[in-house]
Amino acid sequence: MADLYPSLAQCAIVAAAFKVLLFPAYKSTDFEVHRNWLAITHSLPIQEWYYEKTSEWTLDYPPFFAAFEWLMSQAAAYADPAMLVVKNLGYDSWQTVYFQRATVILTELVLVYALSRFIKSVPLPNRQAAHVASLSILLSPGLLIIDHIHFQYNGFMYGLLVLSIVLARKQSTLLYSGILFAVLLCMKHIYLYLALAYFVYLLRTYCLSLKSVFRPRFGNIFKLGFCVVGVFAIAFGPFAQWGQLMQLKDRLFPFSRGLCHAYWAPNIWAMYSFADRALISVAPRLGLPVNTDALNSVTRGLVGDTSFAVLPEVTKEQTFILTFLFQLVPLVKVWFNPGCWDTFVGAITLCGYASFLFGWHVHEKAILLIIIPFSLIALKDRRYFSAFRPLAVAGHVSLFPLLFTAADFPLKTIYTVMWLVLFLFVFDRVAPVPERPRIFLFDRLSLLYLTISIPLIIYCSLGHHLIFGWDRLEFLPLMFMSSYCALGVVGSWVGFMVVYFTS
Amino acid sequence: MAPPTPSSHRPRKKRKIAISPGSNNNLILDLGEGKQSPAFPLVSFLWAARAGVSQWLILPLVLMAVGLFRWAVSLWGYSGFQVPPMHGDFEAQRHWMEITTHLPLAKWYIYDLQYWGLDYPPLTAYHSWLFGKIGSAFDPTWFALDASRGFEDPRLKVYMRATVVVSEYFVFIPAVVNFLRRYTRMQDVHAWSASIALVAVLLQPANILIDHGHFQYNTVMLGLVVASLDAILAGRMLWACIFFVGALGFKQMALYYAPVMFAYLLGVCTFPRINIPRLISIAFITLAAFALLLAPLMVGASNTEARKAFAASSVPPLLQALPIQLDKNSVTYGLLFQLTQIIHRVFPFARGLFEDKVANAWCAIHTFYKLTRFDATLLQRASIGATLTSIIVPCAIIFRHPRASLLLPALSAVAWGFFLFSFQVHEKSVLLPLLPMTLLLAGNGGLSKETRAWVGWANVLGSWTMYPLLKRDELRVPYIVMTLLWAYLLGLPPTSFETYRTRPSLEDSNANFEPSTLTTLLHFGFYLAMLAWHILEAFVPPPPGKPDLWVVLNALIGAAGFGIAYMWCMWKLYTQCRQISRQATEEESQKKKQ
Repeated sequence: MADLYPSLAQCAIVAAAFKVLLFPAYKSTDFEVHRNWLAITHSLPIQEWYYEKTSEWTLDYPPFFAAFEWLMSQAAAYADPAMLVVKNLGYDSWQTVYFQRATVILTELVLVYALSRFIKSVPLPNRQAAHVASLSILLSPGLLIIDHIHFQYNGFMYGLLVLSIVLARKQSTLLYSGILFAVLLCMKHIYLYLALAYFVYLLRTYCLSLKSVFRPRFGNIFKLGFCVVGVFAIAFGPFAQWGQLMQLKDRLFPFSRGLCHAYWAPNIWAMYSFADRALISVAPRLGLPVNTDALNSVTRGLVGDTSFAVLPEVTKEQTFILTFLFQLVPLVKVWFNPGCWDTFVGAITLCGYASFLFGWHVHEKAILLIIIPFSLIALKDRRYFSAFRPLAVAGHVSLFPLLFTAADFPLKTIYTVMWLVLFLFVFDRVAPVPERPRIFLFDRLSLLYLTISIPLIIYCSLGHHLIFGWDRLEFLPLMFMSSYCALGVVGSWVGFMVVYFTS
Repeated sequence: MAPPTPSSHRPRKKRKIAISPGSNNNLILDLGEGKQSPAFPLVSFLWAARAGVSQWLILPLVLMAVGLFRWAVSLWGYSGFQVPPMHGDFEAQRHWMEITTHLPLAKWYIYDLQYWGLDYPPLTAYHSWLFGKIGSAFDPTWFALDASRGFEDPRLKVYMRATVVVSEYFVFIPAVVNFLRRYTRMQDVHAWSASIALVAVLLQPANILIDHGHFQYNTVMLGLVVASLDAILAGRMLWACIFFVGALGFKQMALYYAPVMFAYLLGVCTFPRINIPRLISIAFITLAAFALLLAPLMVGASNTEARKAFAASSVPPLLQALPIQLDKNSVTYGLLFQLTQIIHRVFPFARGLFEDKVANAWCAIHTFYKLTRFDATLLQRASIGATLTSIIVPCAIIFRHPRASLLLPALSAVAWGFFLFSFQVHEKSVLLPLLPMTLLLAGNGGLSKETRAWVGWANVLGSWTMYPLLKRDELRVPYIVMTLLWAYLLGLPPTSFETYRTRPSLEDSNANFEPSTLTTLLHFGFYLAMLAWHILEAFVPPPPGKPDLWVVLNALIGAAGFGIAYMWCMWKLYTQCRQISRQATEEESQKKKQ
């Protein structure tokens, strides 16, 4: 029997020690966002939660998350009641910081629990791989950077997601998986990106007979329908009752934002912007018209509308259609392989990819939507792993611009490098040889890709400032970084598509 | 090194292939049915490495992990943050960078002594100069002369923290890695066990909290000492001298180790036969190293500018005491002035027996029997006498048996002696005895329950006695986290009682490697006392009129514990010495038989 040391609990303890030490580290505006939500949910009646706008960081997560904040605010009252005052904008006494940071660490226990369930759900021969994958998720630099430094509650919510995915493994717990995912949707609507995969999988595997598409299982349909509708009714019912649904819609889906987010999440549109930028100098020679307005306004790392100088504009509708199409492709396989859990997880991953790569106003934090489900199956065999490798590098490196203070630089780089060295090495040892031979020449390319990252990080974090100073061409490092990372994410997407459809 | 003999309980070289990785440290517990489990959490973190994973992978990972913890601690407060007008150690170090980069060498030791005048030996001054120059390239305002006093920019903090980490990674860490590699090889300890010991040594809470929290560069000095030990193990005595002079030249506290180093080097030249050329070369190299160390400062003091500066400053008492009269304009005067001024600054004889509440003998006695009634010179003599008494035995042993394997217990015993009985002891000085004691973890049986229990207990106690200091620096959380983490990783109370429990291990359990009942009781008493003290300190205000009661209590418990730690080190030294002489006689008798 394989040795499963260090155990999840041991890693969680040491990681928690490290995270506690990060209490005084840089925290983004998300810290104030969540403090404000604590204050809103604690001091206002529910009817006013989605109308309150004293702070610019209005409540824009679904009701269950608001309820979660309300729950935490009950404890927060003992830590420091002043943080629960709506008017105390930007309040960050040490009690507030300790309290909020501690809640992130504590709620992450859900993830630890989900991962331990995941390990137990795996048949014995593969358990070591599952253990390693779980550790990689638990110690993920993504969660460390986003949750414990930048500040959010992803560890908790990805814990629910992993738990729901694990529950989907067995026919007997499939219903709970669906319910849990509905709950998750009512906590953070970003998971809508994965909803299509759940829908198809549950429909085919739970609602229809495994043997024939034409034999619906009415009992299951009723149970699942009742429960999911019930969850949504609990979450949104009261607001519908008060006639606030339109307000909620406006809060949850603010469509006034631009195509690319502040730091250019590494997706297709980052590459598109990069191409546009590169074409500006070439366009006159090719006789292409250049939109002069856009020349000055091409995002300099600012939130707002991106306009392109040479290439055609991209509309919201186009991004939706692209996202939807690329989500549908992998779902075909889910439909024809009912009850195949690996395919389901692969489909979730690919849905994450599609929405990340083609979505409108994608945030770089959404990369976890791909990495975490992918980690669960990355060790299926070496082909999966070689598709995972560039994603692991690009996805985590793309998070670096989230932290920009000098004190964070060693934290984010050394932690990420350590994680990459450790887990890429261990994965390489643990991943079994595939049944079919590998078909692509991806390996050499991904090695080249990995090596490029080192000079690039050095250039972007230090070299650029030495060459150009602190305020000239400041968008350039970000653009290089996101284009580089976009290449990695797209590369791993193509690679994984191939693996997914050929296995 | 004496080759291990067949009768030795140590595993022989030949058996090395056959022994399981954790054998001489009982790292692997046998759960029956062929199942194995790690003996304590740190073992499980390196569990996957027991089958011989390349050091090229383990070492970078370990160094990155311990580096992250260091950097995370450095995010917290430091000594003297927002405490005008004098601030604290952080400001002192920054101030030295300021004066060394802006003033000529002649003024380094005489410039405005009231405001953190330089009172560390020359190597610290050069180190400050180097980092001051580099830092000025980033931002000259950080180290602007006089104008930068009390400067507290967050970016300056990051820079200063980085200088500590960089210094540590250039000196302490390579020294410890090399030392442990050589030491474990000498003691026939498996490489896996050595990696575990390395992590334990590098995560020593007291070092991290003082250097990266409170703010100091102790690890540079400690690193030079370890480099010196490493050179001794390698048989390069002259390098050992150079490194040790470097340590002394960085921080005078390295004197705590000096008697042992002296006795050892003298012993090496005397036994088994007197070796005069070696003695001369050692003496020469040591003097040359000192000369080299002082050379830049002396050159700086030889010009007329320097003499002008000296003329304006008060004459060092040592120079006044010299029986000869010198022309104030001669070069000799300048050199002597500089030298005596450095000595005067580095060794403040004028200060009292003890400064703060320190967990040493004097402070403990003072609590019950006021020592201020005695004359200062009498106290100084008493202190010198007591210190000498406490160190004479280990020094004599190391002189008579100059064995490299005896150095660690001897160094810790002597450093404990100094800590307990010498005057002008600072609570941070506890790092000195703790380092060689902690390095014992790498030895044969070093990670066995007995040694681990003692070394762990001393380390926990050591950081506990520094709690009042750390509390002032807003380092409570790092203190709790780092100390508990270390205790957890090594399987010690208050996180686990496993170490004190007898369990069947994979190998035949050696009774010597289990803590005795007395040890268990003693340690539990101290752990309980520490815990109770923390509860008291946190929730019960001290009685009116005695505001320092809790601090004094801390110092008293600490002094008692350190006294016990001193005795344990002595006992360890004694048993190891006995063992070695027994081996030697057996060897001889075998030779006779042949």
